[in-house]
Amino acid sequence: MEECRAAARQIAGMSVSVKKLFLLSLLLLPLPAAAYERIASLNLCLDQILLNWVAPEKIASVTWLSANEHYRSAPLPEQVHLNRGRAEELLRLQPDLILVGQFGAQRAARRLRDLGLNVVAIPDAYSLEQLRDQLGALENTLGQLQPLQKQKQQLDKLLAAPMPPAQASALILSANNITYGDGMLEHQLLERAGFRNLAAKQGVKQLGRVSLEEVIAAQPDLLVFYGGEKDFAVAHLAARHPALKNYIDSGRTYTLPAELGFCPALVAADVLQQLTDKRKSFVEAR
Amino acid sequence: MLKPGKFVLAMLFAALPLALIAALVSGPVPVDLGAALSQGWHSDSSDAVILWQLRLPRALLAILVGAALGMGGAAMQGMLRNPLAEPALLGVSSGAALAAILLLYYGLAWLSGWLLPALAIFGAFCAVACVWMLAGRGASASRLVLAGVAINAFLSALMALALNYAPSMFAMQEIVFWLLGSLANRGWDQLLLAVPFILFGGVLLYCARNYLRALSLGEDSAASLGFRGRRYPLMVLLGIASAVGAAVAVAGTIGFVGLVVPHLMRPLVKQDPGRLLWSSALAGALLLLLADILVINFVGAQELRIGAVTAFIGAPFFFWLIVSARRGQQL
Repeated sequence: MEECRAAARQIAGMSVSVKKLFLLSLLLLPLPAAAYERIASLNLCLDQILLNWVAPEKIASVTWLSANEHYRSAPLPEQVHLNRGRAEELLRLQPDLILVGQFGAQRAARRLRDLGLNVVAIPDAYSLEQLRDQLGALENTLGQLQPLQKQKQQLDKLLAAPMPPAQASALILSANNITYGDGMLEHQLLERAGFRNLAAKQGVKQLGRVSLEEVIAAQPDLLVFYGGEKDFAVAHLAARHPALKNYIDSGRTYTLPAELGFCPALVAADVLQQLTDKRKSFVEAR
Repeated sequence: MLKPGKFVLAMLFAALPLALIAALVSGPVPVDLGAALSQGWHSDSSDAVILWQLRLPRALLAILVGAALGMGGAAMQGMLRNPLAEPALLGVSSGAALAAILLLYYGLAWLSGWLLPALAIFGAFCAVACVWMLAGRGASASRLVLAGVAINAFLSALMALALNYAPSMFAMQEIVFWLLGSLANRGWDQLLLAVPFILFGGVLLYCARNYLRALSLGEDSAASLGFRGRRYPLMVLLGIASAVGAAVAVAGTIGFVGLVVPHLMRPLVKQDPGRLLWSSALAGALLLLLADILVINFVGAQELRIGAVTAFIGAPFFFWLIVSARRGQQL
């Protein structure tokens, strides 16, 4: 008899723990985006995505880098805590979603995950394909945000269009004479817009250096600068050299927005559109 | 028949245009020099743009900056009567660089115009005046170098601090430029900015040549020869500051030129501090132009700073100075 009672208690106990497990799994399932009320980010790009695309009252914390005007294109809500990527700061804020990138603040992310917080890793994007994945991951986590949807659709549309033949040449001249070659997002955008990237043609893989002489000798139709930095730096001497005056005077330049360098999700579609328009205007002018 | 000293000087003088041609043909891109020359200044062809707007101003800037540093070094060694005096070593260049950094990174940004060399000259003047006051009156070589090293270290630390807090993201990495100098990506605008001030400094130093000559006999002898008062020392200080300050404002700190060149030239001009000025300017120009040709041809777009090349030449020379001093020879 005793044994029967013990077995019944055991069964009852099991059903209780199954219930608990069920509730717990419900908690662990991704909530619809609207349900997240206190979102925190441990990554500069994800900061910008939150600030630009999510209602300000839902943002609990962004990284301290986002206080810098150089990185930020949207206003910083007053209640937002600026974190330095430390677990204890975020623990105190009790966010219901913590977004973290592929690199950086990994230790804090692990610690927060161990402590039971909802930490979601969003992959970084270094190519158009990865950018699509990133937007997809953001959509899965944050839900159907309108600007995100718009950006995703715009990008899908541009990528679905057949690759245009290269009708003009372009070369990127960034700070410290750095140029972007094969394997970089900037190169993909140029090619997708119908430009032949002269750096890639000369065998530059990813990043390379290009002297002003090489820029002048290559005679690209479009000279592409990397923008964003207004303060003085010797690094920008090349881009401001009088030898490039011809390009600037004749409007054969384009300046990539600084966001493309640290958070392409925000601007890639617009950049691709503008570059395509630029190429079309060149072809028409011929 | 020319005497050996004059012959070498004549050779140096003849070598300068040859080095200029060598500088004009060196670069990452092969250029048809004849065609570029005949197309002229205003041509839009890439060869002409490369020659007239990239290579020529850079080569002329190397000549100008080298001349300023050589002459500044000769004047400093003459004035302090010390073989180890050198603008970069004793903090004069750092004073100019600090002033330039404060203006460029915090202040009036790109087109600060004449204010940039003017402020750099002010910085250089303060530094050279400090060195002179700290170690001027008959100081031993070791005391002078100690004072100079202290000033240089302090100003370099201030430079690092200023760059650390500068709003530009590139500022901190650019300490390399300010400490080692570079002529990359320079154009006519920087050249024209520096020319008047360097010429002004040169003229001041040239006017003070007899004071430097008299000073080589000692301060009392100089005073007895009529070089009394503060007028002449101030003239030399301002001359050094003007030449070195303007050079640093556009090319950063390039060391060792001002140290090595006067030593090499001294035997050729029979130890005459007056003639040493212009001969050091000539040799400094040649040395820096050759160093820049070396940089362009052997390092490429990832440019080794020109100060590193002059240090390669200068540091062994420093060892030689030490060795010869240990042998009991006079420096």
